[in-house]
Amino acid sequence: MRVLIVDDEKLARDRLRELLNEIGGHVVVGEGMNGNEAVEKAAELNPDVVLMDIRMPGMDGLEAAMHLMGMENPPMVIFTTAYDQHALHAFEVNAVDYLLKPIRKDRLAAALDKAKKLTLQQLQEINQAQETPQARTHISVHLRGNIRLVPVQDILYFMADSKYVTVRTTSEEHLIEDSLINLEKEFGEKVFLRIHRNALVATDYIKGIEKSTTGNWQVALSGLEKKLDVSRRHAAAVRRWARR
Amino acid sequence: MAFDSTKLSGLSLQVHTQLTASLRLLRDRLLPRMADATGRLLRLFAPAPTTTEDDAHFLPNFCRGRAIGGIVLIAELLAIVITLVTRRISVSLFQDLLLVSLFVQWIALSGAATLCMARRFLDKLPNSRALGFTYLLLLMVVLVVSEAAVWVLWLSGVITSPRPEWYAYFHIQNFTVAAIINALTLRYFLARHQLRQRTLSEARAKIEVLRSRIRPHFLFNTMNIIASLIRSAPDKAETAVVDMADLFRTMLGDSENLVPVSNEIAIAKKYLDIEALRLDNRLRVDWNVGKFPRKAVMPVLVLQPLLENAIQHGIEPIPTGGVISVRLREENDIIHIQVTNPLPRLRSKSAATPLPSEHTLDNLRLRLESHYGDAARFEITQEPERFSVAVEIPIRGGNP
Repeated sequence: MRVLIVDDEKLARDRLRELLNEIGGHVVVGEGMNGNEAVEKAAELNPDVVLMDIRMPGMDGLEAAMHLMGMENPPMVIFTTAYDQHALHAFEVNAVDYLLKPIRKDRLAAALDKAKKLTLQQLQEINQAQETPQARTHISVHLRGNIRLVPVQDILYFMADSKYVTVRTTSEEHLIEDSLINLEKEFGEKVFLRIHRNALVATDYIKGIEKSTTGNWQVALSGLEKKLDVSRRHAAAVRRWARR
Repeated sequence: MAFDSTKLSGLSLQVHTQLTASLRLLRDRLLPRMADATGRLLRLFAPAPTTTEDDAHFLPNFCRGRAIGGIVLIAELLAIVITLVTRRISVSLFQDLLLVSLFVQWIALSGAATLCMARRFLDKLPNSRALGFTYLLLLMVVLVVSEAAVWVLWLSGVITSPRPEWYAYFHIQNFTVAAIINALTLRYFLARHQLRQRTLSEARAKIEVLRSRIRPHFLFNTMNIIASLIRSAPDKAETAVVDMADLFRTMLGDSENLVPVSNEIAIAKKYLDIEALRLDNRLRVDWNVGKFPRKAVMPVLVLQPLLENAIQHGIEPIPTGGVISVRLREENDIIHIQVTNPLPRLRSKSAATPLPSEHTLDNLRLRLESHYGDAARFEITQEPERFSVAVEIPIRGGNP
């Protein structure tokens, strides 16, 4: 099988590589140091299996696996971890395989033999079971079969139309298949504020709230010329937010 | 207490319903309250319980042979005391003892049997109420057995009437003795239970401290790294194992120990060497150590937890790592320690930003407080991208 190894510790990656060599029949196609690299390399190299550490800086293994599930032909994922009591219980419950560090050769071989594809639902349930369910650090955008990761902190706003949600960053715009309700629930109003039935704006980028010549409230965002309308229904909530 | 149902059926329906209502009131309101009050009274001089939840099962299991054996022994000792201090009731002292023993054992074993049967019910109650119910049950047993004893004597022809002249005295005497002995015994069981609970929670706290010192995540990741090194660089693996041994020996030791500052620095450096294996070039440490007099001592494991906190919250979450700056100097007989680490870039307003203090630093602060009192200073400075802890402790180790 074609294997992608993802771990932030170089020596841990080396160990997996050596164990795979000894087991035989597998090719290591690449290595990654964090979740972002896992997603990028998986899209580029199309591995059969990703061996992935759960705790990594930047994007963690769980979120990376969720983004991978959006691929056209997602790889199988086997998680590795040193110690995560809470997560591991959720793994057991959702029948997701994992390897405990220090990794044993026979366990690795067995895990590769019976590796199966995960579902997004399994991963979401594991995330929900964590002590503090993590909001995504990135939004994955699909471009002609490729995955592009947009850091959440770069996003100015989400705008919904009939079918898709537009993600707007300071420099670009993408379409994603998600709903504003989900996004609102995931990130909370401290990060994205609902200003209109069809718009969530990043609170970090709000420059000001002003009244337009026609008498409607509008939100001005830094890095964006255009001002966004606040619907009458959300005006009170937005002004309340601004007063804080 | 027991109402004969055949008598009840003879009464009018109205009286019957009134009776059941008052019986229900007795069962649901009065009895539990009585039990609560009794329980509270019995606990009056007991030390405050250390745990509130795990408090059930303060009574031994009277369905078991060992507990019954203990009861028989206590009852026999009581019988001997009674025989020695009361006036003769028969021809010889030995015969007195036999009779008294028979009676006391009868009460004791009936009491044990009652508690054995009521065990399931008592276990469900809060502690005070269970205590009260147990006490009331045992007193009831005494009343019933005393009455039964009179009846046995009457039926066997020893006495001529079921109400001999000593009838009232007999009941009052038995009841009073039982009230005192039972109260003492129950207080003993309660105290024993609380002592056991305290020992248990102390043991748990010790394990908790040990676990917070030896982070499992660090331990298992390092084992994994060593397993990897054994193949590629056996000499490095050897150093790592030896360093780990030194580190763990210190962690498992007494945290009240005072060590020379140089020792503390050495153990901190060993810890950093191990972390460097995992984190590679992501971990960079800028040491700045001033001159220390030879007599300078400090509590063991002050510097290491500061570094551990800096790595856990400052280096591990940043993909490219960063620099930890360590400053140690001595000035006017005060040891100044400052550890500074970078912080990962987070959304400024996001709700779930974990503060990098947590247990490690809390524990350290509490330890320094208990060791030095006001003489130690512990200060955390948090900026958007920098986190710094400053510790100042007297050079001579304070008053342990």
